[in-house]
This record gives sequence, C-alpha cells and structure tokens, in this order.
Amino acid sequence: MLLLLLMVVMTSCSKDPQQSSRKELTVAAMAGPEADALKRAALDYERQTGVHLNISEFPYANLFEKELIDLNARTGAYDLIMLDDPWFPTFATKQFLTELTPLLQKRGQNGPDADFIETSIALCRHPYQTGSLYALPYVGNSQLFFYRKDLFEKHSLKPPATWDDVLAAAKTIQEKESGSGMYGYVMRAAQGNAAVADFMPIFWAFSGEMFDAAGKPTVNSPEGIAALEFMVQMGKYSPPGYASFNAEEVGAHLLQGTAAMSINWPVWISKFDDPSKSKVIGKIEFATLPSGRKPGQAEIGNWLIAIPRASRNTDTAMDFLVWATTAEQMKRSALGGNPPTRKSLFRDPELVAKFPAYPAQMRSLETSRPRPRTPQWNEIENVFGIFLSKANSGALSPADAMNQANAEIEKIVQRGQ
Amino acid sequence: MPKSRRLSNAASRRHLLLPYVLVAPAIAVLLALSIYPLIYSITVSLQVGEGWGVGNFTRLFSDNFFLTAMVHTFVFAVAALTCEFLLGLGLALLLNSHIRGRGFFRATLLVPMMLPPVVAAIVWRLLLNPNFGAINGTLKQIGVDTEPLTWTASPVLAMLSVIAVDVWQWTPFVFLVLLAGLQAIPQEPYEAALIDGSSRWQTFRYVTLPLLKPAILIVLLLRTMDLLRVFDQIFILTEGGPGFATETISLYIYRAAFRFFDFGYAAAMSFVLLALTNIISVFYIKLLRNETRIS
Repeated sequence: MLLLLLMVVMTSCSKDPQQSSRKELTVAAMAGPEADALKRAALDYERQTGVHLNISEFPYANLFEKELIDLNARTGAYDLIMLDDPWFPTFATKQFLTELTPLLQKRGQNGPDADFIETSIALCRHPYQTGSLYALPYVGNSQLFFYRKDLFEKHSLKPPATWDDVLAAAKTIQEKESGSGMYGYVMRAAQGNAAVADFMPIFWAFSGEMFDAAGKPTVNSPEGIAALEFMVQMGKYSPPGYASFNAEEVGAHLLQGTAAMSINWPVWISKFDDPSKSKVIGKIEFATLPSGRKPGQAEIGNWLIAIPRASRNTDTAMDFLVWATTAEQMKRSALGGNPPTRKSLFRDPELVAKFPAYPAQMRSLETSRPRPRTPQWNEIENVFGIFLSKANSGALSPADAMNQANAEIEKIVQRGQ
Repeated sequence: MPKSRRLSNAASRRHLLLPYVLVAPAIAVLLALSIYPLIYSITVSLQVGEGWGVGNFTRLFSDNFFLTAMVHTFVFAVAALTCEFLLGLGLALLLNSHIRGRGFFRATLLVPMMLPPVVAAIVWRLLLNPNFGAINGTLKQIGVDTEPLTWTASPVLAMLSVIAVDVWQWTPFVFLVLLAGLQAIPQEPYEAALIDGSSRWQTFRYVTLPLLKPAILIVLLLRTMDLLRVFDQIFILTEGGPGFATETISLYIYRAAFRFFDFGYAAAMSFVLLALTNIISVFYIKLLRNETRIS
C-alpha cells in the first residue's frame, strides 16, 4: 500500500514539469566567474524572452564527470553544457553534441561570426579547425608569462624573451634577493593537468612534439628530454615542494611576493590588484610566453558551450547560446573577469582600460596552441603528468621519465585503435 | 459450503503469505540497490569494446599502474593499521585505569573522528603546506631546517603524511571500540590473577588480551576494510602524487571510470579489490568465530 502510494506520488511528480507551459533550459556550468557571468546573462534573457534558465554549477573536478555521465546516458537533463576545451574531442568523437551549423543556418547565418578569435573557434570544430561546428567559445583563456617588473628593473634585467633569459633572471634574482625568501620562479608540477600545463610551453619552445604524423607518441625525443631537463633545472629556483603544487600554491607565492616569475592563467590577473590578498599591487607584468628554438606558444584553455544531442530544446538552447556570445553580452562577462573570445572586445577601449593585460592576452591567445586533439587526452595527460611530476620530485631522471611516459602513452594509443 | 469455512481458508492462506509480503519491500530495495548493480557491473567488466571477453581482467596483470597502486594500498593499510591498533590499545588501557581527568581525555580524543574525512584532509593539507603551513612554520621557529621537509611533495614523505593523517583520524575509533571491550571484562579474572600473584605483564598477556580478543578482531576487520578502500583523504591531500607515489587502488579505479570513461576496466579492478577484501574479512571472521566458540 505504502509502495503504491509512493509510486503514485512519484509519477505525479515526474509529470509536473511537462505540464507547465513555461519554457526552461538547464545548463551545467563551471562554478566561479564563468557561471556567475552566465547567471547574469540568464536573468536578462529571461526578462526579454520569458525563458527561464536553471544553472547547475559544479567545481572543475566534478563538472567533467557530471557531463560525461549525463551525455552517455542521453538523459537530456542538460540543454547546454560548459566544457573545458580538452574535453571537446571526447564528447565530439562519441557524438554527444549537436551540430550547430544547421541551427545557425535556420537563423540565417552561414557560420560563426568572423569576430571570434581563430584559435578559439578552431577548438569548437571536430576534427580540429576543419570539421563541423559543435560548440561556441565563451571564455578565452590562454596562458601568460607573469614576471615582477620591479625586480627586473632593480637588477637591470631585460624582459624575458627566451627561456634562457628566464633561467638567467631566476638565478640572478634568487641570489640577490635570497635574504627576503624570494624564489626566482614558481611552477606547479603536481601530476595531471598541473604539471602538463606548466611543461607544454617549454616542450613546444624546445620544438618537442607529443605525436608524429602517424600518431605515434614522441615525447622521449631528444628535444622532449632536453625540455624536461630544463624544467627540472628551473625547479632549483622554484619553492621547495613545487612537485605537488597546483594553481593555488603558485598564485599564493605570487600574491605573497615570494616568487618572481611564473606561467599562469588570466584568472589570476585581477587578484594581483586586490589589496586584501595581494602584496604585489602594480608590480606584475604580463607577457607572452618565452621562446626557445621556436617562438613561444601558450597553451589555450577556452571554456566552450555546447548543446547535448539529447537536449529536447535545441532551438531555444541555440537562441540563448548565440545571444550569450554576442559582443554585447560577452562584454558584460568580460567585465566580470572572463577573458572574451572576440577580437573586437580585446580592442574595446573600456575593457582595455580596465584590463591592461588585454593586448598581451590577445597576442598570447592568437598564437596559442591546443593540447593534442585526441579523445584519449584525459588518460594521456594523466600518465604524462605522473612522469613529469616524478622527474620533478626527483624520483626519476628526465630521460627515464620521458622514456617511460612514451611507453605508457603508446599503450593508451594502441588501446584506442 | 458453509461460509465460515471459506473464510478461514482464505485467512490461513493470508497467514502463509504474510511473511513474504512483509519481507518483500526489503528484498525489493536490496535487489534494486545492491544486487542489480552488482550483476550489471559484472556484465560491464566483461565488455571489451563491442564484444565480450576477459580482456579487462588480463589487462590488469600488464598494467604497471594497477600493480603499483595495489602495492601502495597494502603499504598504506598495513602501516596505518599497525599504528592505529597499537596507539588505540595503549590509549584504551591508559584511559581505562583511574587517572585523573579521564572523562576529558576521552571526549577530546574523539574529536578527530567526528570531522568528515574531507574536512580533516583539507585542514591537514593546509598544515602540511611546505611554504606557508603551520607545521613547517613552527619547526622553523625552533630552528629546524625545513627545506627538505616538503611533506606531500616528496615521494616518501607524502606516503608518511597520508598514513599519519589516517592514524590521527582513526585511532580514536580503535580506541573507542577497545575501551568498550575493556570495560566489558568482568573483575573476577583480575582478582583471581591477583591472588595467583601474577605480574602486571602476565595479567595483561593472559587475562586482558584473551578477553579483549573479540573486540580486537572486530576493530581490525572494520579498519582493514576501510583502509583498503581509502579514497577521500588521499584524494584531497595528494591526489595520488607526487607522481604516483600515493595513488591507491580506489583512486585509480575512480580515474579509470570517471576520467578515462573506461567503466569496464574500472569494474574489473573493483572486483579484484572486492575479492581481496573478502578474503581478508573471511580470515578475520574465522578467527573471531573460533574465539567466541572458546569463550
């Protein structure tokens, strides 16, 4: 009897949303300034169109699994998902996402706006750059090189243009400032995403490549090993324990004024000017990444928005997506601290006045490189990160680490074939 | 046929059915929440690509990461269990005697156990931070060179750190169970031992320990099962790092399932862990049964 009652209650509950005539969209978003911007946009959108948006926020670590489980079960629980660009190949290969070009055509557009940064829109295509469009770029992050302008001037160092400059400057600053607990450089080498993100710009500048044209891993090339040797050498000027650092520790060292240089993401820029957190207000300069044998390239890390194939409201979802990525709406998101993905906004006088790093950010973004576009990236990044972290914690020599990483990555690639 | 006869027939039939009706909800819940997922995960573990096979299980033996994670799990479990047991027993014996303020000590000792593991791990992560953490800060004040003490960033210290945090958090539980065991021991055997003139060590060895054995076995069983599936503290403290130095089997299973989308392989590994946990538990339970039979 009780069970029966329960069933009746449950079925009546599940019918409820269908009965209501009010249109609703559900969005899975990254908690933080990204979701905050979306929430503000959603309020405006509801005022204009009457469509209500439910925004479910998740921290970075949970967002991927929430989306993956939902997309795989094809429940259609989410009408829009915010995704980090390295996840895109996985979702696109599994055909989880709605192709956007037909939806754009319905609205009288041939394709995405030419105002989007090329490297950002290239991430939204599957295959990379050339294929069909499955997402639009919402937040235009790419790495920047941060350095302490005041210390560089004090010790008459020129702005670091190459990795050799970086090493020399780190040595000078650490030796001359040793009394104040200053470290020349700070990086993060915790296994996984952290170590890989801080290593890739060095690896690319040393002309390392993760895969050859046939898709075989080549991280243990002489260039790759030299790059890791260089990273470990830089580690001598990094605070002890950096082999377990993530972004928070790196940020803390910069804010406390205990490190002179680092690679980091634009999200930290505004924190340096916050007097309640920062001891380095106005002292940090933002630049593009140093060069090596090849011109410096940043890792790109854009937040994209896509429509799951299982969504039952694709037209409404597309309408919101296009609206939220217009220059006007994206500018509001940019004012909230999210780097845009539109050229016009990087040149917008009001924004440039508020975010002086924009010119450097735009140069960095336009010349940036994506992580290898493979649906197995999560697994490859995990293994690669483990060996990078091992080399940095002294458990393995750089050559051994790269050889073992290569062998393990090869296993993953073979399993995928 | 008289009406009353038919009625009593129906009544007795209802009587026979009643127990089944009463257990049905419990069975239904069990079927839905345990047995169905278990069977489903077996089928998942036997799926390789589009077909069926034992590929996920054979892959385990050539997977260095899996084998290393297994070793880490056992190193962690054995070390933590030993420390927790010895400390817990010592504390229980101490606070079972009539020392002053024992109520206060008993209550204070339970605090770590009441914290959610994730919260405890976050607190420890801050304490252990090599540059800004309170532990290195204090050590520096008393003149210790903290440069090599990078805690969670050095492969050996990271393992010691995660073990220490587990010991800190779960020794109180061992203590609590053993204290309850001690208090359940009657006075008579002690009086007899006293009359026989046995030393304190002999009393402990031949009276306390045998009578405490059931409690010891229960607490060891519960802690072993918990330690083998440890996840939250390590996930927060080191996320398995540096490198792979503290990756345990649960973390690796989690990664395979929710990061690499390889549910088949994750299910296969879970079954290996389940089998090992079962073997160890059966061993404990057997010991326990022998024990209760003797007493």
